Amino acid sequence: MTIFEFALKRSFGNPTNLIFLSLFPLAAIFLPQSELWPALPYGYHYFGILLLFVAIRLTAILIEDRTSGIVKRLAVAPITHFSYLSQNLLAFACILVLQCTVVVAGGVLYGQELGQPLMLLVLYVSFAFTALAMAVAWVALYRSKEIAFLVYMTIIVLLSLLGGMLFPVEMIPEPLSRVIMVLPTYWLTDGMAWVTSGGDLLDFWLANGVLWLYTIIFLTLGSVRKIH
Amino acid sequence: MSPVPYVQGWRFLQIVALIHLWIAGDARPSLFLLILLLLILVCLRWRFPLPPWTAALDIGAAALFMPFTPLAGYALALPIFELALAGRWLLALPLAAGLLLAQGDPAVGLWFFAASLFFGGFARVSLRNERLYQQEVDEQRKARQELERFRTELLAAGRASAHQAELMERYRIARQLHDHLGHDLTGASLALQAYDYVKEPEEAAKLLAEVRRRIERSTDSLRETVHNATPVARIGIERLEQVVQGYGELGLHFVKTGDMQRIQAYQWDLLESCLKEALTNVARHSNATEVRIELQTGEAIVRLLVQDNGTLPDTGQPGTGLKNLQLRARALGGSLSISRGQGVLLVCVIPLEERGEPDEAADRG
Repeated sequence: MTIFEFALKRSFGNPTNLIFLSLFPLAAIFLPQSELWPALPYGYHYFGILLLFVAIRLTAILIEDRTSGIVKRLAVAPITHFSYLSQNLLAFACILVLQCTVVVAGGVLYGQELGQPLMLLVLYVSFAFTALAMAVAWVALYRSKEIAFLVYMTIIVLLSLLGGMLFPVEMIPEPLSRVIMVLPTYWLTDGMAWVTSGGDLLDFWLANGVLWLYTIIFLTLGSVRKIH
Repeated sequence: MSPVPYVQGWRFLQIVALIHLWIAGDARPSLFLLILLLLILVCLRWRFPLPPWTAALDIGAAALFMPFTPLAGYALALPIFELALAGRWLLALPLAAGLLLAQGDPAVGLWFFAASLFFGGFARVSLRNERLYQQEVDEQRKARQELERFRTELLAAGRASAHQAELMERYRIARQLHDHLGHDLTGASLALQAYDYVKEPEEAAKLLAEVRRRIERSTDSLRETVHNATPVARIGIERLEQVVQGYGELGLHFVKTGDMQRIQAYQWDLLESCLKEALTNVARHSNATEVRIELQTGEAIVRLLVQDNGTLPDTGQPGTGLKNLQLRARALGGSLSISRGQGVLLVCVIPLEERGEPDEAADRG
């Protein structure tokens, strides 16, 4: 598990990452609640966006490895690409799950109104994995860390806008409201709506199921080994 | 171009078509699971070569959703394509027919399935052809490498036999000198030594006559040996000069520097071929009026430069003749290059054997 430990150390080694990984989630706990929309406190409603940013920040390490030639050296080392990728992803996933747990537990302790906190944690964890898989698939396309990050920021904004994270989905006109159902962020907001207002439990698991299926798809696409 | 991207593109296109149908239909969230399941299989096929039986997974997923939506019927286009791609298109036919009957409205679906079936078959043929071409190219490459190896071995064998022939010739001349010239000269020398001790004038005159006779015979023998050893056909620098004279109409300037004796027979052969090729090319393809030929023999290399003043533009890749010469030059550890600037410049460089190489010393014994 050397790669796993090293990935953890590298993730926390960068000052910007440290802010993303510790300061922002802590700040999210203390953000206030809106009167009308969203139903969850601001920090929790926008936590999905933070997860998307954190995931791309973490997976940038994979691009660094490619550009610095580490992947090339690993190809001749007695270690499989699967082992390299899985240990890295495990480290990133641990960080993200820890963040989700800290945020939800912090909210409960602070007294935020979270509906069903346990279900919210399950949803956040599902989305954390989806965000991680999306980021892995995204960085597989790029050679430069900066370009990958900048373009992905635009994607995050679009995903958040259309997925109903920045304004209610109900405001989106009819034909488009059907199209946005293909976005993972739609299923996160769908799940969050269930957490706050309740409803059929099957709907909640459907949202989680879709997120996990997306995780598998993006991981399959992102696991391709590229040696530049 | 490989047909693989088109096969992958077709699979993803089917998913996009399903998403379109889903959005255009009732867009029930639960049905999106079917599309995602199929998308996972498509992604897996993109990443790994899955066996044909995995089409059963697509069929299973579609069958699971069949009672709830007509979309699942259209989803069968994917396994039909996969079966056709694997050459099991006969299995795909009853599947398509049975499901069309179950759907009740065969009009659009029928053509959708037929397109999948045909493209699957077409992709199969294309992929097989690509594999065959690849095999053929590999075999040809292998044959070419084998040929190259043979050529190198042949050149080495030629070099060895030239060396052997030189040794034989040297031995023959040495034997001739020893057997005839040597005996006569030794006899003459002994006779001269005896002359000092002979008192009788008649005996002395006889001895002198014998010495003269032996020296004359030696001179004849030497002349004969030299005459026999001189080749009838011209070799070496003379041969090159002869080639140059053959192209008298071109305006040639031939300059040679260095010790020509150091160039071996097999090296002369390559130099002659290069010169002939260069001059033929000038005569056939160039408008040059002057050609400057330089043969420089240095300590370690011999260099042949052929520079013309042609002004016609470059016509592309060098011909087969030049390519062959390049290979031959490479096989001798040298190089042949052609550059175009002020006319065409051909440079052939061949490394020379070091003076007094160990094997040569050993040959001398």
